Amino acid sequence: MENENMNLQEAEELEGGVATAEQEYADEATAEVEEAVDEVEDDEDNEEEGSHEKNLRLMSPTQMVLRRFFRSKLSIIGLVMIISLFAFCWLGPVFYTQWGPTEQDMTGKVEYSRTPITYTDENGVEHTFYQIVETEKTINALAPMDLSHPLGTDKNGYDVLARIMDGGKVSLTISFLSVFIITILGVIFGGISGYFGGIVDTIIMRICDILMCLPGFPILLIVGTIIEAIGIDLQYRIYYLMGFLTIISWSGTARLVRGQILSLREQEYMVAAEAMGYSTGRKIFKHLIPNVMPQLIVSMTLSLGSMILYEASLSYLGLGAPEKYAAWGTMINSANDLNILQNFFNVWGPPGICIILAVLGFNFVGDGLRDALDPKSRR
Amino acid sequence: MLKYILKRLALCILILLGVSVMIYFLIRCMPVSFIDDKIAQMNQGGATIPQETIDSMKALYGLEDNSFWGILSGYGKWLLSMLRFDFGTSFKYATPVVDVIKDHMGVSFAVALIATFFEFMIAIPLGITAATHQYSVRDYVVTVLVMIGISLPSFFFGQMLKDLLAMKLGWFPPSGLVDATTDLSGVALIFDYFRHMFIPILTVVILSIGGRMRMTRTNMLEVLNSDYIRTARAKGLSENTVIYKHAFRNTLIPLVTSLAGLLPSLFSGAIITEQVFDLPGIGNKAFAAMISADIPFIMGYNMFLALLSVLGVLLADLMYAWVDPRVKLQ
Repeated sequence: MENENMNLQEAEELEGGVATAEQEYADEATAEVEEAVDEVEDDEDNEEEGSHEKNLRLMSPTQMVLRRFFRSKLSIIGLVMIISLFAFCWLGPVFYTQWGPTEQDMTGKVEYSRTPITYTDENGVEHTFYQIVETEKTINALAPMDLSHPLGTDKNGYDVLARIMDGGKVSLTISFLSVFIITILGVIFGGISGYFGGIVDTIIMRICDILMCLPGFPILLIVGTIIEAIGIDLQYRIYYLMGFLTIISWSGTARLVRGQILSLREQEYMVAAEAMGYSTGRKIFKHLIPNVMPQLIVSMTLSLGSMILYEASLSYLGLGAPEKYAAWGTMINSANDLNILQNFFNVWGPPGICIILAVLGFNFVGDGLRDALDPKSRR
Repeated sequence: MLKYILKRLALCILILLGVSVMIYFLIRCMPVSFIDDKIAQMNQGGATIPQETIDSMKALYGLEDNSFWGILSGYGKWLLSMLRFDFGTSFKYATPVVDVIKDHMGVSFAVALIATFFEFMIAIPLGITAATHQYSVRDYVVTVLVMIGISLPSFFFGQMLKDLLAMKLGWFPPSGLVDATTDLSGVALIFDYFRHMFIPILTVVILSIGGRMRMTRTNMLEVLNSDYIRTARAKGLSENTVIYKHAFRNTLIPLVTSLAGLLPSLFSGAIITEQVFDLPGIGNKAFAAMISADIPFIMGYNMFLALLSVLGVLLADLMYAWVDPRVKLQ
């Protein structure tokens, strides 16, 4: 019984340490807490019912973070938004098979237009004729919302709903990919810079300074033009553009990682790691980086949203795939036509709402994660 | 202090050199034939670029020689002319780059300045109420609203406002800067300008309030948790005095500093917003120039932006030391 209490206390202390002091735990400490918890739980199973320990619940840091995350309603709303968007874009096409994203509706129909012509004959009697013009539309463009096209068709006769699903796939994939690459680059350069210091640090930080002063959007416009000039298939242009964006935007992540590592490497557990004779790689990637993870996860989630906005803006400016291929930004671009802007909200509204949902969802989740991972906020 | 500023200025020059190298080498990735094509298109489109201008430009950028040394000497030549503030002549607009920037900056600057003013005026009070009523209904409502604002894509929101305020309600003109059908002058003309700029400004303000409000809220919360605020409350000061006289002043520090960081966005023009509303601002002109491979303009405009952002960072640091005496620059 005493032994168990000690375990409990130990675990609680460790937990408190994790939650209040700023990232003092190494992953070893985390593992220890979890072990302690397991032990206690095992013991508890053997105990008879009624002991007061039953009312105590022990949680690992991860559990605590999750609990704080799910306590906030906004985080849950954000998570639901993201999950439903993913389901919509990937599972949607499985159920909605009437139209493909690049399939034009060729069921043209015949339209009649009637213009009155007035004609006065020699007796002064007015006759009114109607000139009926029969036009046969080959593509069913700008069709209204009905059963065959739940969101209508755009000016090229593409089905809006199918295109939203397809564009969403591209947007979400691209944003995840680019955030992933940015994080990897940032962790590598920031880690090296913070750990080694000295001349390496100076060089990497100066490169960061330069990258931060590059005007991002104009540079992407230039790169877009270059890609067109070199003759790369325009369908994949947006991937190249976002790839380039990752190369010039890792500096923020690198700074974040570097700052954390600078403060972490002075701590006792790193002296211990040094004394154990661990290799440099192990020290950086097993002992330092895991402690930067909380901040990294938050910044990654928040930048997912901004990547979607970036991608959509580039597509809107016509630097994405050609019109034949769907993208949320490109679809909104069609509202530059005043007729479509005023009369066909179903063509440009839904993709915009999808963008807002995606970005808002990522922002809510990021915000919730920040609060949940912040050791200072105890709610 | 002077030593610090000089050191920072030297660093700025280094950064600018780095930026110019990157942009220059990027531009050199463009095939020459592509540029010829684009110039031919521009000439067909009404612009008249004399062959001499094109030739001198190509010589300046060393476009004919695509070997490594060719590019390097081209960069050297470009740098020399840059030191004499010679940005060259824009292909697309057939006027000196400096003049194009000067002529179109006014509109962008006016929009950005007014928008920034309203952004601060609205965001700061919102941030303060959200912080003083943390986790209350008010905090949640404000947070959710500004988060929606941050998440709006500028082009989509701009189109929506245009559809609603200009097309459906007809309160404001949908695009452009002046009404072409009437001949106005004096006060009426300026009034007409503002009527045209209203929706763009509204778009920019709503999109940018969020970031500023979050910043105010975070800072205010941090200040409110500090010891001297507890002391102020313990002394028995009224809540208003505590918040507006004691806490607010320290909340202002990062806000004032961030003003300097806004320097580039004041002059650079909003490319997308200007595109949506067809405002003849610098962003609009830059977009058109950049997709048509107008090399002198691209180099000039981007270096102008880089210069502004380098200066903005430096100014922000200096202001930080000026506003907050605890900060020592070294």
